Amino acid sequence: MTPTSTDIETRQPTRDAAALASEPAAPEPTPLAGDLLICLTPLPPEHLEATLKNLAGEFPEQAAGNGNGGGNIMVAISDAATSDPVPDSPLRLLHYTSSSTALFLTAGDYVNAFKMAQEHNARACILLGPESQSLSPGFVRRVAAALLGPSEAGAGPEADLVLPHYRLGPNNGLVNSAILYPVTRALYRLCPRFPQAIDVGLSLRMAERLATAAQAFTTAGQNDAILWPVAEAAAANWPVAEIDAGPRGLPQPASNDLNALLSEIAGSFFADIEARASVWQRVRFYQPGSASAETPNSAGTLPDVTPMLEAFRVAYVNLQEVWALVLPPQTLLGLKHLSLMAPAAFRMNDELWTRIVYDFILAYRLRTINRGHLLGALTPLYLAWVASHILLAGAGAAPEQHIEDLAATFERDKAYLVSRWRWPDRFNP
Amino acid sequence: MLQQVHIALSESTHRVLLKLASFLPGLLALLVAVLLFTLIGAALAALVRLILHAMRFDERLARSNIFAGNANIQNWSTSHSPSVLLARVVLFGCVILGCIVGISALDASYSNNSETSKLLLPYLTHSVGAIVIFLVGNLIARFLSRSVLIGAVNARLHYARMLSEGVKWLVLVLTAAMVLDHLQVGGTVVDLAFGILFGGIVLALALAVGLGSRDLVSRSIEKSAERTTDASSSSVPPGSEPGNPPPIRIDALRHF
Repeated sequence: MTPTSTDIETRQPTRDAAALASEPAAPEPTPLAGDLLICLTPLPPEHLEATLKNLAGEFPEQAAGNGNGGGNIMVAISDAATSDPVPDSPLRLLHYTSSSTALFLTAGDYVNAFKMAQEHNARACILLGPESQSLSPGFVRRVAAALLGPSEAGAGPEADLVLPHYRLGPNNGLVNSAILYPVTRALYRLCPRFPQAIDVGLSLRMAERLATAAQAFTTAGQNDAILWPVAEAAAANWPVAEIDAGPRGLPQPASNDLNALLSEIAGSFFADIEARASVWQRVRFYQPGSASAETPNSAGTLPDVTPMLEAFRVAYVNLQEVWALVLPPQTLLGLKHLSLMAPAAFRMNDELWTRIVYDFILAYRLRTINRGHLLGALTPLYLAWVASHILLAGAGAAPEQHIEDLAATFERDKAYLVSRWRWPDRFNP
Repeated sequence: MLQQVHIALSESTHRVLLKLASFLPGLLALLVAVLLFTLIGAALAALVRLILHAMRFDERLARSNIFAGNANIQNWSTSHSPSVLLARVVLFGCVILGCIVGISALDASYSNNSETSKLLLPYLTHSVGAIVIFLVGNLIARFLSRSVLIGAVNARLHYARMLSEGVKWLVLVLTAAMVLDHLQVGGTVVDLAFGILFGGIVLALALAVGLGSRDLVSRSIEKSAERTTDASSSSVPPGSEPGNPPPIRIDALRHF
């Protein structure tokens, strides 16, 4: 399955999010030829009922019992999390056992989804994460249309991986904005705004590929391991589409420990980057995505950044010896300037943050220091970026434009990562 | 008188030379055994590395199990290559075997009733153990020191460095005491000194952290008291007008 260089150069770009955003939100009579499996992660009874009601509204022909004409929609619900009776639904309900309560879709979710899709001859499956009752009307149907509808070329589906583009607001999904989105866009030249989305649409072959990758984790007892579907799609050179999902309720993480969560997510992300070095180093073709969906503004007030700035300053005083092992002198100098800035004027420029992230990825690969320590040392720097981002938004800059500019900087600086990845000792900036 | 002194000296010199003569072959045997087994180990390690490289062992392992077990294996190798790790295991296995053979040869070169053998051999093995304890202790001290430093920084503790240094010195003092105890140097003086030093560091840390956290604890108590008062008096935060959204606090941030 390893793609050749030629394969990668002809990669299909992500679909235009703005064009998709302009699609009407109401359910369309899109023909859904074939079976579709919708997997729901364990939900509280009231959320499950609301989700099933929404799904029945999205597929009225199924609810009316005319499933044969428009395709067969199956909804898989977990019966492990609750002992409450399952609410009535006109949709065909399947039951599976899962107790996953993770923030994102996990290896266990992908394995379960593929097994069920295979058992029930589904052509595609949609995995909806926690809080799926808050999804915008029409979203699931549009994902189904992208997965089951014919592509412009006529052969195969329009996309093998369909990711949502949520409109979350400037204070949400900050790890995604700071690290996951810009790095994914720079490395794989695919620009879904939420590469690690809470909901995801998969063609059968994509589900199989992800289930195979997930099997390595589940056999080792790591059912909650995180997978990176965009990287899988990029490695297979399969088309990725992005659908406007509107606003969405975000699931609450089980722990409020930012350091532990960031270490888990960033660690998994960096490990995936390390494993796919041969893929992202060869990617060249790229068609830039157009303007993304607008994010709602915060209600005129912004979070207090003082604790974040304090965290950064405490770290600057204490962690210099650790950072000096990872970051080059130029970056350390940038951090020194940052530590001297007045709170109101605190700005971390995009170039500095890009170098920090790239150097941490390199240090993760080279094991310059223990990986747990490395990811722990990233947290205060990330908080400094968050503070800078919030202050920038407070000064009137468009947050989404800032993220796009940051992603563009990551793209421009990719050569630095590639050079140091290939010749870590020879290349000395 | 002079003759007796001369006889005593010559006999003593003769005995020492005799012991040295019986000791040197054993020592030479020890060195030869270690050297020989190290060379054999190096050759075997090179062979293992060549075979594993030809088999593309690392790539196969990475492909079969990218993250799960392989990641754990790789964590043990500084060069993060499982084949290099295996080669090193072979090399050091041979070196340890050489040491065992050499010590056995040294032991055999002495007569059973030799006092030197009874004293030297246990001390030699204790020295090896002490070196291992010293190295492991240093590694643990560095690891724990950095863990505490990063954890304390992320908890926004201003005295993070002091805490980390304290933990490092605690482990180093403990290591030093264990090494001396293992070498049977100092006897009860070491135990006593260790107790005083260890207790002193713990007390100093407790005082420093306690005094340093005084403000933190009082702020925390004040905050929880304020929260209770706010909740009981009104659901609307002070300073906000009805109809306006409450100001977003740091908790309103969603990192994921």
